[in-house]
Parts: sequence; structure tokens; C-alpha cells
Amino acid sequence: MHVLIVGAGPVGARLAEGLLPALRSGAVEVTIVGAEPVPAYNRVLVAEHAVGGMGFDEILVHDADELADAGARVFLGARVTAVDAARHVASVDDGSGTDSEIGYDRIVFATGARANIPTLDGVPRTARDAGSLRRTDAATIGLDDRLPRGVTALRDLDDAARVATAVQARQRVVVLGAGVLGLELALLLAAAGCEVVVVHHGPTPMPRNLDRGAGLTLAAALRAAGVGIVAHSRAEAVAVRHDPDTREAHFDALVTADGKHVHGGLLVLSCGVGARSELATLAGLPVEAGILVDRTLTSWTDPSVHAIGDCAHVADPPADVRAWAQAGGRVGGGPSGLIGPGWQQADWLAARLAAEASGVPFDLEPPDERPAIVMLKGESVDCVAAGDVTPEPWDVLDDGRRVAQWADPEHGGYVKTVTRAGVLTGFATVGMPRTASELTLLFERGAELPADRSVVLRFDGVDHDPSAESSAITPETTICWCNGVSAGRIGEAIACGATTVVDVGGATRAGTGCGGCRERIQGMLDDRSPAVIGV
Amino acid sequence: MNIADADPEASARADPSRAETQGTPTHCPYCALQCAMTLTRPKERADGAPLLDVAGRAFPTNRGGLCKKGWTSTVVLDAPGRLTAPLIRDADDEFVETSWNDALDLVALRIREAEAARGPDAVGVFGGGGLTNEKAYQLGKFARAALRTSRIDYNGRFCMSSAAAAANRAFGLDRGLPFPVTDLDTARTILILGSNMADTMPPFLGHLEGARAAGGLIVVDPRRSSTARLTDDGAGTHLAPAPGSDLALLLGLAHLAIAEHLVHDDYVEARTTGFASFRRSLAEWWPERTQAATGVPAERLRQVVRRLAEGDAYILTGRGVEQHADGTDTATAAINLALLLGLPGTTGSGYGTMTGQGNGQGGREHGQKADQLPGYRSITDPAARDHVARIWGIEPEAIPGPGIPAVRLLESAGSADGVRCLLIHGSNPVVSAPNVDAVRTAIDRLDTLVVCDVVMSETAERADVVLPVTQWAEEDGTMTNLEGRVLRRRRTVDPPGEARSELWILAELAGRLAPQVHFDVEAERVFTELGRASAGGRSDYSGIDYGMLDGDESVHWPCPAGGSSTPRPFDVRFAHPDGRARFVSVRRRPNPETPRGSDQLWLVTGRLLEQYQSGAQTRRVPELVAARPRVELVLHPAAAHARGLADGDLAVIANDRGHLTAPVKLDAGIRMDTVFLPFHFPEADSANLLTSDAVDPVSAMPEFKTAVVTVARA
Repeated sequence: MHVLIVGAGPVGARLAEGLLPALRSGAVEVTIVGAEPVPAYNRVLVAEHAVGGMGFDEILVHDADELADAGARVFLGARVTAVDAARHVASVDDGSGTDSEIGYDRIVFATGARANIPTLDGVPRTARDAGSLRRTDAATIGLDDRLPRGVTALRDLDDAARVATAVQARQRVVVLGAGVLGLELALLLAAAGCEVVVVHHGPTPMPRNLDRGAGLTLAAALRAAGVGIVAHSRAEAVAVRHDPDTREAHFDALVTADGKHVHGGLLVLSCGVGARSELATLAGLPVEAGILVDRTLTSWTDPSVHAIGDCAHVADPPADVRAWAQAGGRVGGGPSGLIGPGWQQADWLAARLAAEASGVPFDLEPPDERPAIVMLKGESVDCVAAGDVTPEPWDVLDDGRRVAQWADPEHGGYVKTVTRAGVLTGFATVGMPRTASELTLLFERGAELPADRSVVLRFDGVDHDPSAESSAITPETTICWCNGVSAGRIGEAIACGATTVVDVGGATRAGTGCGGCRERIQGMLDDRSPAVIGV
Repeated sequence: MNIADADPEASARADPSRAETQGTPTHCPYCALQCAMTLTRPKERADGAPLLDVAGRAFPTNRGGLCKKGWTSTVVLDAPGRLTAPLIRDADDEFVETSWNDALDLVALRIREAEAARGPDAVGVFGGGGLTNEKAYQLGKFARAALRTSRIDYNGRFCMSSAAAAANRAFGLDRGLPFPVTDLDTARTILILGSNMADTMPPFLGHLEGARAAGGLIVVDPRRSSTARLTDDGAGTHLAPAPGSDLALLLGLAHLAIAEHLVHDDYVEARTTGFASFRRSLAEWWPERTQAATGVPAERLRQVVRRLAEGDAYILTGRGVEQHADGTDTATAAINLALLLGLPGTTGSGYGTMTGQGNGQGGREHGQKADQLPGYRSITDPAARDHVARIWGIEPEAIPGPGIPAVRLLESAGSADGVRCLLIHGSNPVVSAPNVDAVRTAIDRLDTLVVCDVVMSETAERADVVLPVTQWAEEDGTMTNLEGRVLRRRRTVDPPGEARSELWILAELAGRLAPQVHFDVEAERVFTELGRASAGGRSDYSGIDYGMLDGDESVHWPCPAGGSSTPRPFDVRFAHPDGRARFVSVRRRPNPETPRGSDQLWLVTGRLLEQYQSGAQTRRVPELVAARPRVELVLHPAAAHARGLADGDLAVIANDRGHLTAPVKLDAGIRMDTVFLPFHFPEADSANLLTSDAVDPVSAMPEFKTAVVTVARA
């Protein structure tokens, strides 16, 4: 079985790696084509890389040589320009500008996503709907838009290099968009000593993930971390200045609908991502928010086509796909935009393809499509959210959902839980790290919250272990762990005439193990009040 | 017959006058700390008092201290249920006493019958990590050279095999602590993962005091164990990750070490290999993803790794992170983190695993493992086979190949392709094995079960032949403790009744089955042979003799003939041929034992202060039993409330494998999604009715530490 993997990012590379055993045994052949000229790296850490924290070596996740040594054909810095699904053939430009054809038994799209380019005067963008794509030639397939100087997305290494240059020059950075990626970059920039301002059009940050309370708490935390925020501002245009020598245009300011000019040396567009699905669109495969595949990650219409990661839109197909398409059918959902589910899909698909190729039965369930948990990466700000958190505590909801909320704006703490029959359907937390991590696990498991919701809040309290010993000694308090001797027992020994630690040890064995409690025993001997001793 | 009388040398050593006057210096019978103690025969034995008095003795590991188990250890010498005569089944299936001759003839006959019907592999041997070095060696030799069976393994497969496999592949050598425990005294930071030494080996806690005083004791445990409580009041940090997420936690810490530029680059360059590909395996474990997988906030992870990177730091692992189907990878991840920070083989820093059983270290070196010959050699290595065959006086081809690991050995017992006749020494698998109901069924299927033990254990109760053996104060021998320190166990009293040393039993059986192979009965001579057999191997004892152990000298293996003790084997180089440690990349796999929904909880199993292993010994000491007479289920008040349970209520804990009923004990220090059961209790109270027999692909260690259960009112 010849498997052609289109895309050598972290998800495509993971699939190839999962196929290594089958490749070595000769059960499959593997060809992988990646647009970037470097082995796969962890895109989640691109901002860390850009702002100087992590070297490129430290974000690599894949060894292309190992794959090549095992017999795979690896094309990096190359791109697939067309797929002929009927003939099972793909056209590949290996970087030379000329196409060659590669046949396949299975083709796996792992082309990922590209940054959305918002509609801004002064910034060109390419339409990639089916009609527009048919009018353009192959030269644009798989490529990104060229942005004006001083404007960048943050998705790949070139983007990272642009951000790094701005950091080195201590430029003021304008981030457009208050989604999780934009905020993570802003936090890193602020921590690195750069002036940074986030411009967004809503009232609070992360509007897709957070309710108003969490958003306000987060905004306060961001400001405290040194991130400037310009809310309620719809971006309309980019103002440029011209280099006096070269006459080249360069970003100067972001212009908002109400006329503000937000100046800076670099504009980072952080307005979400969209699937890179144009190849599939042109190949006539059904595409919505991504390439439409069923739960087994197989195209709705072509069993030899799979898609995984950010380019895959997993949804149950209608009974009659053709009729559905002709009726202009739409389908909800879309790629999660998170790497974890992409890796799970890659692992599962690798196992399935290897089993099929070797003729081995395969009964592993495909990965669950679970609602995404969004965690803001940042050392000084802690924010985690999942599901729909828009309901408020006194809302009357027909679907049985109930809301509990804790807000402490003064100290930057906020928790909202939305539950149905006690099981989380959504939550948002700010500034409550221990609570956040426990809610994350409860959400993933689908387990009921404690009836006393405040139990989960207390994880972040100083008293989170009510059973921990206080300084007060009660008769039941264990003094000697080695020998399991209680304060009451030692008190008895003292009452019976023990006057030294050695005496107490002779009578009770307390203090005859590691010796760590001898000071406490001496303390009891020194302070012989019956109340302390408990006899 | 009195054995001491029959053996002039042993008799000289079990000097009754010394025992009465200054006492006999020996070591505790229980855990791997092997606390030094002095046994003295009281001038007059008060009514109900033990046979011998116990006193702690100054020694680096315990500094004169003992725990409750050690103080009461001599009670077991003549506790109820102590075996004093060979037992066989009569026509009514009841045990009756018999002579040694008849008992051994019967065992030899049954072995011959099983061999005749199905070949040598129809006979199996199951050993233990509590046996002396001499017994462990002799057991391996008996299986391979006298029985010619490959079917030998031991209960150390249930405790040390994952850490051992990880250390062997990383360092080329598995010595639990590759440094004396006293090195820990000066540590600023000690990270303990999955070990509760405050209950299991309390005198060890003294070695944590320096780190506590520096605020640097970090304990990782899903419950607030006695050890985790030692971090209170500024002494350190307790992290409570979800059960089964330790590997993710360690990968996340290693990621942070790289992301925050805390890697000891010179060390990695000079002393390790495999860094580049290891680093690639870490890029996926950024802190927030680690938080989502473990429940430990990213900020806490950052604090831990920064603290570790400040130096004078140790990382210690225990069964809590090793007894998993990914235990080898988890121990490997702990080693990888230690290597990144430059800890192993560096003065004042290190990595180690906390060996549990009394001779858990020596027990894994001398050839009672399925794939191993003495000297920690591989049974598939032709040079090792030649060397050992020469010592044993047999042809190398006569040594069988690798056998099968403990879980498979036990579960296949009595089946068509399993062993039909099984000899068990120093182990109680019907309490201690995972998924224990299946093990009980398998054991009951056997044609013949022979159990050598000091007491009528639950496994012995199921035997066809029970042979009474000597215990610690009644025998000479050596033990190797958790630091690879070789210690002398000394005979203080004569064994009761007809109890005999296993060395004698094995020699007698070999005399009946394979008279051409020589088996010594005297411990010192067996030790000398063991030393020769280990010469040139990874755990080389050939330079050690009993005389050295009688002095004050501290002897750590490897100690080759003409060489010297090696307290810190990795000081200069690791044991791989190139002298470098290996980074081994590991990846987290999905764990089938993961609770879903509201009803299911994680069960973790563990130990109590008052009990040791399957409790065969400690459940016979009234003072220990009185402290916690029966099994209790520990659970969080919120989990109890959701199930309508109050403190002390009876609950049924159940899953597909079995169920048990126990009173509940509420403890806000355990995770809400986790319950805890100690595994020391027998029969219907056995926590192992619920544990999974899924095993680690590398070490064959079973998954003791995560099992999905439901808990409901009984």
C-alpha cells in the first residue's frame, strides 16, 4: 500500500512516524511532501521560538532522516499542486518549478491551516472558494498571501523571524485579535520587555471562549502583565509609511473604525485560522470548514482519501452525500485548531493503515471528537476554558444546564461552571490554576462535580487540605510516624514518669526510628500542660 | 534433630553465649533499608514476650533507629502459624506432618512425573525478593542445572522490574541507589515520585531532613501520603497528579528544563548520548498540555524544575510510578530528566529507585529472573552461559533458554502449555499478584504445588506439600540492600522443630533428581560459589567474602576479585561500553484503565506502616494488627458524599475482575477521583482482586497502580 502524505507539519510527520514499523516491514510505502524546507516542528511553540525563549532545535518534533533511512520518500520544500482523485495521482512540485506525478493507494491530507487575513484596506487577500480557485492557476495552490512589510501572521518560521526582528529592535508591536494565540504572543512580548498592544473589536478578550466575567478578569490580568489592550475597536485599514531611501511601504499604524491610529513597528494578525483545503476543493472532494471526513477520518466521497489535523472537518456524513450537496447542505463544527486531537488522529490512522496494509484485523475505536479545552499559555496569567460558558447563574435554561460562579476581581480569581446533571458542559477559570487543572480532568472524563461546588475552589486555597495537621497537637495527632505513636500515647508515658526523650522512646518507641520527631517530643516534655498532652 | 548441632561452623557462629551477652549483630528481616539491629536472648523470657530482644544498632542507613515493624520483628519467630514440620495432604485433603525424607521423596516423585509427561518446562520455580543472596543464587541454579527448566521467575517482577529495565538501558547497570543513602543528607532538593517511605521504611526519613530544612522536599503522589505530609510547613511541595499521568508529568518537566535553558549542556555533551532525538520527543509536552494531562498547574511544574536545576538535587522513584503498564518508560522519563540536569554520577546529586523488598536488590542479580544468569548476566549471552556452566559443572547447552515472566508463569499454571508442578519460595502470590482471583484459579489447577515458607501463608494453605524453612534470626547469609551494600545476616537462635534452610532443601532435592550437580548447603560456601559465578558480570561479587562483611568495612558491589567496593559506580563513567548514559525517548500511550463518567474512580494500591508485603509475617504480630486490623478504603469526602457514604460505612469496591467490601475512611488529602486500598490483606479483603494483569511491554511489570473501580454503599 502506497501512502502519500500531503503536509509534513507536526501532524503529517506524526502519521509518517506511526507508519515506520509498517514501512520497515515492507507492508507500506510512504511518500511525504512538505511545503516548508525543514522537518516538522511544534507550531504551538512558534511564539516561544520567535520571542527568543526556545531555539529551533528545541521545538523540532520529527527526524526526517530517520524516515528517509527507513525507505520513505521525503520531499521538503515541495508542494502538491493538484490531485487527480479518479486516477489516484498527485502532481508534485519538488521546488524546481516543474511538476512530476506520484501515484498513491491512499492520500492523507495533513495540510494544516493558514492564518486568516482580515479585510483591511492596504492588505491584499486571496479568495479560496471553489469558484475563485478555478480561476487561479496552480502557482497559488498551497501558498500563503504576501503581506506588506511590517505586517505578519504568526504561523511559520518566516513569521517567527519577522517577530524576532521586531523584538530585537525593541519595536512596539500591535497584535490584531484577542484570541488565545494573539494573547499568548502579547504575554511573551511583554515578558521580553517589548511594548505591545492588543486591538480587538469586542468588549473583552477571548470572546469565543470566555463569558464577560472571565473576560474582564483576564483583561485585568493582562494589563497587570504589561499588555496594552484596545477594546471595542474594529480594525479597518493599515496606514503605511515609506522608507525615505528605498520608497518601500512599511506598516505604520492600524486604523480603527472610530479613527484611532494604533502605531507600531510590527502588526501581527491573529484573527484565527482556516483549513488549507484548496487542493481537496479542486479535486472535487466535499469541503466545509475543512475537508469533510467521517469518524474514521475518511473522505465522505472517496475511500482512498483521508484528512487529519487542522485541515480535517470531522462530521457524520448524510445518508446521501450527493443529494445533500445539491441541496446546498451545510454542516456544523470544524477543526479544533488544537494539536493534541491532531496527534491522536495521526496515531489512530497510522495504526489503521498499517493494519490494513498487513491484512491484520483492526478494531481500535477512532478518537473521540471532544469539545476543545482552551488554555492560555503564559507564565503570569492562568486562564482555562471549555464549552459554552455564556449562561448566567440565574438564567432559566430549558436544557437543564445550571451555572455556578465565583468572582473575586480584587484578587484576580474567577470560576464559572456550567453543568447538566452535575456534569460539566463548560467552564471558565482565571487565576485559579489548581481548580482549573482539576476542572479540566473532570470535563474530559465527563464526571460529576462535587455537590458542594466550593470544594473545587478550595484547591487553590492555603487550607486546601483540611486534614493537614495544624500546629495544635491533639491526642490523636501522630507524633512518631516511624512507629505510629500518637501524642496521647506519649502524654501517657510522660504522665507515667518519663522525663527525657529516651524515656519516652523506651516506653512508646516514639523517636526510635528516623529521629525526626525527637524535637516535638522534647517540646511535649518541656510543656507538660495536660491540655497539650491530652491526659 | 538440631541443625545447629549438625553443622559445627554454623553452630560456632550462632554463638549462644554471644546472643545472651552482647547480642548478635544482624539486620531487620523486612524492607530493603535493612536496618541494623542487635538480637539478644533475654536471661529470662517473660510471659508473652518474644524469643529475642531487639535493639537498634548504629549503621549508616538507620543510625540506630527502627520502625514499628522492626521493633516487633522477633514476634514472628514463634508466632501462631509458624511452620515446624513438613506437611503433606492426607486422604481427606488435610495437612499431616511427615518426615523430611518422605516429603522430599514425594516432591522429587511429583517433579519426575511432571517432567516425564510434559518435559522439563512442566516444572516451575517462583522465588522471592526476600530470599538471601545465597538462596536466590541456589534457586536459579537448581532450576536450570537440576530441573533443567526455563520456567523460573520471582515476585520482584511485581516490584523492581520496571526500574531495573529502565536503569539497565539508560546506565548499563541496575543498582537501585548508585550512592550510599547518607549522600542524601546534604541534598538541597529531593524529588520523590511514587514512594511513601514514611510508611514503608520510616528510618529512611532521617536522610530527607536536609532537603526539608532547605524547603526542597518534593513529593509526587495522588494522595497526601505520610511522606507527602512531610512537605508541610514550608518543608517542600506536594504535587498530586492524576493516577497514571506520571509519565506526562516527567515529560513536561523535561520539556521545561529545555525551554527554560536549564539543561546542563557540558554534562549532556560529555556523559550522554541520544540527546537530539530525545529532545524532539519532548517538544509536544509544553507546560499547559502537561497541566491538562496531569492536573498539576503549569506554574508548579516550573517551580519544581527550577528548583531541581539549582543543583545538589536527587530524583528518587518508587513503585507508585513504576508499577504500571508504562512503568519502564516512566522510570526512563525520570532518568532522562535527571540526565538533562546532570544529576546521575555527579557528586552531591543523583537518580535512584527505592528498592522495596529486603533483598530486592540482591534478589534481582543472581539468576532467579526468567532471562538472567548470576552476576546480572543475560541467559542468551553465549559467553555468560559458558562461564556459568563451568561453575555449575554442566555443559553450556544444558542451560535452558529464557523463561516467561511472573504474571504469565502464574496465569498459565496448570493450563495445557503451563507448568504442572510449581515450587514457591518466599512469596505469597495469592495475595500479592495482580488480578489475584485468576492467579488463585490457576494455582488450584496445578497437579502439584510445593511451598517453602516460615509461616502458613495463604499460598501455603493451597499447597500439596509445605516445607518449613528457617527465617532471618535462624540463618546465616547475605542480603544486598537498596544501596547495593552487601550485609551479613547472622544466625542467633536455632530454628524451631524441623524447620530447615532452603539451601539444604535444594541440595537434598538435587541429590534425588540430578546427583551429578553439586549443591552446597552451607551459606558461606554458596556465597563463594556465587562470587565466582558473578565474576565479570554486571553485579560482580567475586571480591567479597564473609570476613570482609564481619568487619566494619562497607562493601558495595561491584567488587571484583582484587578490586574494591564501589559505593558510587557512576562517578566517572556509566556502565555502557562507551561509558555514556543513554537518553531513551519515550512516548505516552493511552491507558485503558482510565475512568469515564461519574461513577468510575481510580483505585491506587499501596502499603501501611504496620504491614510488610502480603502481610504473611506482619499480620501475625498482634501489636501491628491492632493498629489497623482490617482493610479500609480511603476516599475523598466529596466522592463519599456523592455516594451517600459517611466515615466508617461499608462500601463495595468493584470492577470487571472482582469486588471487595471494606469500611470507608474519609480523607480530604486524596484526589477526588481516586481511592486507595492497601494490598496486605488476604482472601476476600485482597486489593489485588481489583488490579489489572496487563503488563509493561519491556519489563513485564503488572499494572498495580491504576484500576478503574466503582464504589457504592454495601
